[in-house]
Amino acid sequence: MTMQSFNRRSLLAGASALGGASLMPRGAFAKGSLVATTYPGSWEEAYRAIVVPALKKKEDIDLELAPLFAMDQIGKAKASRGAPPFDVFILDPGPRIVGIEGGIFEKFDGKKLSNAAKLPAGFIDDSGICVGAQVVGIAYNPKKLPAPKGWKDLLVEPYVSRLGLTGFQTTFGTASLIELSKQFGGSLTNVDPAFVELKKVLPKIAAVGLPAAMPGLFQQGQCDVMYTNTQTVATLKGKGIDIEFVKPESGAVAFYTTMHIAKGTTETANAYKYLDLVVSKEMQEAMTKSPYNFIPVNKDVVLPPDLPMKSLDEMSKYVVQDWAQINPLRAAWIEKFNKEMAK
Amino acid sequence: MSITLAAAPETGGGSLRRLLRAEEWQLALPLGLAFVALFVAPLLLLVGTSLFDDDKITQPGFGSWAKFFGDPFNYKVVADTLLLGVKTVCTTVLIGYPLALVYLDLPTRLQKVLIFIIVLPLLLSVVVRTFAWIVVLGREGMINQLLQSLGVISEPLRLLQTELGLVISLTQIEMPLMLLPLISVMSRLDPNLRDASAALGASRWRTLFTVIVPLSMPGLVAGCLLVFASSTTAFISQTVIGGVRLIYLPLLIWQQSLVVYNWPLAAVASLSLVVSVLSVIAALSWLGRRSSGHLHG
Repeated sequence: MTMQSFNRRSLLAGASALGGASLMPRGAFAKGSLVATTYPGSWEEAYRAIVVPALKKKEDIDLELAPLFAMDQIGKAKASRGAPPFDVFILDPGPRIVGIEGGIFEKFDGKKLSNAAKLPAGFIDDSGICVGAQVVGIAYNPKKLPAPKGWKDLLVEPYVSRLGLTGFQTTFGTASLIELSKQFGGSLTNVDPAFVELKKVLPKIAAVGLPAAMPGLFQQGQCDVMYTNTQTVATLKGKGIDIEFVKPESGAVAFYTTMHIAKGTTETANAYKYLDLVVSKEMQEAMTKSPYNFIPVNKDVVLPPDLPMKSLDEMSKYVVQDWAQINPLRAAWIEKFNKEMAK
Repeated sequence: MSITLAAAPETGGGSLRRLLRAEEWQLALPLGLAFVALFVAPLLLLVGTSLFDDDKITQPGFGSWAKFFGDPFNYKVVADTLLLGVKTVCTTVLIGYPLALVYLDLPTRLQKVLIFIIVLPLLLSVVVRTFAWIVVLGREGMINQLLQSLGVISEPLRLLQTELGLVISLTQIEMPLMLLPLISVMSRLDPNLRDASAALGASRWRTLFTVIVPLSMPGLVAGCLLVFASSTTAFISQTVIGGVRLIYLPLLIWQQSLVVYNWPLAAVASLSLVVSVLSVIAALSWLGRRSSGHLHG
């Protein structure tokens, strides 16, 4: 009587349609294809809007973007053992070191890039190429809160009860918690003071979430202040959300973003074409514009006035953290964060 | 191709049928092989991985097991995970069972509408359903706005990132898994049984508890199994709605495998999840078999 909608024939038809779709040749008419990772959020949006169509037009390469945080990329690459699930990585300093140690990058040859000379010295090495920089600081909702001044403000009212917290899974989370710890006597390798202070105010904190969930929680008003990078702020702002970026008094954290070719990829030539395009003047210039506001690495790019950093020479004015020291400690920090923050 | 097939029943039909009967188990071969390749082999790999002491997977030993079970925090995580499953099962039964009863008494057309409504959430990605719950439960979400506009509360309630909020959303997300088996079993019940029970003088409640509930037990148990297994492993809902202060095993596994890269420890956590969920499921299905055996025996 009831469940005629599930008869075998219609199920079979549906299933074979789905199965058939996956057998369709992918990008059959393109010259080549490439799978590159990108960070979820602003990076993904900018690359989808600007780089994907440009690569198709210029080189006839279908670029497939896989949005993943840096640590997740390393995990997936390690798990796949020699058959990388993507051809090009995008990484922060910490995961980059893990990747180099794990031998998951193809040896990089800067000479294969026509734009190599447009980059500052030292931006290309054996492991990969620097494609941008990220600045991490505090984001807040100006309609609901006055501007915070520094990291310490996050733990007092009115901020603490509107604070969205994330742990050590990401570079921006780790970097921010280290800076917070420094304000209470901690250091690059000692985040215990941050735990002590966070624990005191824990019941008041508005949200403790996964990094990927934070923009959504901010958008929904679940939290009104959080630490994040400038690109995320720019993207949310572009969507009409009330959000402003603040450089903390003690300095915002800056780090380079690098791209690497995966060891064992069959798309090496396309990967070089992609990377050459990414650092080209046209792409870098397009991505400096609103709502993306990326910090360019190509020396020919004229900088718009509203960037957090006017040029990469300003890197020295920012807090730069040594990830070779942070990496060995992070697993224990993540475990500690679980235990200290657990209900 | 079609000619041989059509001709087959006339010429060698008898032997074909005999062959099929004799070797019926061969029909299960594709699935069986897939099961071995895709499930048993990875599981063995998981067990193998767990028997290493270090995250580089070079030192064999029971160090990861000792580490995981030497930490009382992990016991709490395992217990919380199972408890979350139990709570979700309870709420889905409390809401789903009456709904299934309502379904039985509906005219066929309305039954079709109800089935569509029940299946509808399954057609949406779990990510979409989960984010919709953020919009509903959030500080500025629908529930808080409604209660505030009615003057019931002055400060927004904290629903997101609480276990209550998580159970509410999991109840909705997992509801189809409870209702579909329940309805398919209940709709096969002989309607005369209810009339017979009434004719013999049983009240509606007595009919419910002595006739309908025992007969619907196989569906109920199947629904409970599905909801339990699905809610204890619902990583996206658990982390997005529950936040990371509520720690369940899937979050721990994700952290160890994809953030910290300590695969042996992740393997131990995964096996703990598999074993603890499976033992509850085994207990449930034993209960189910017992009750149906009781009915027929």
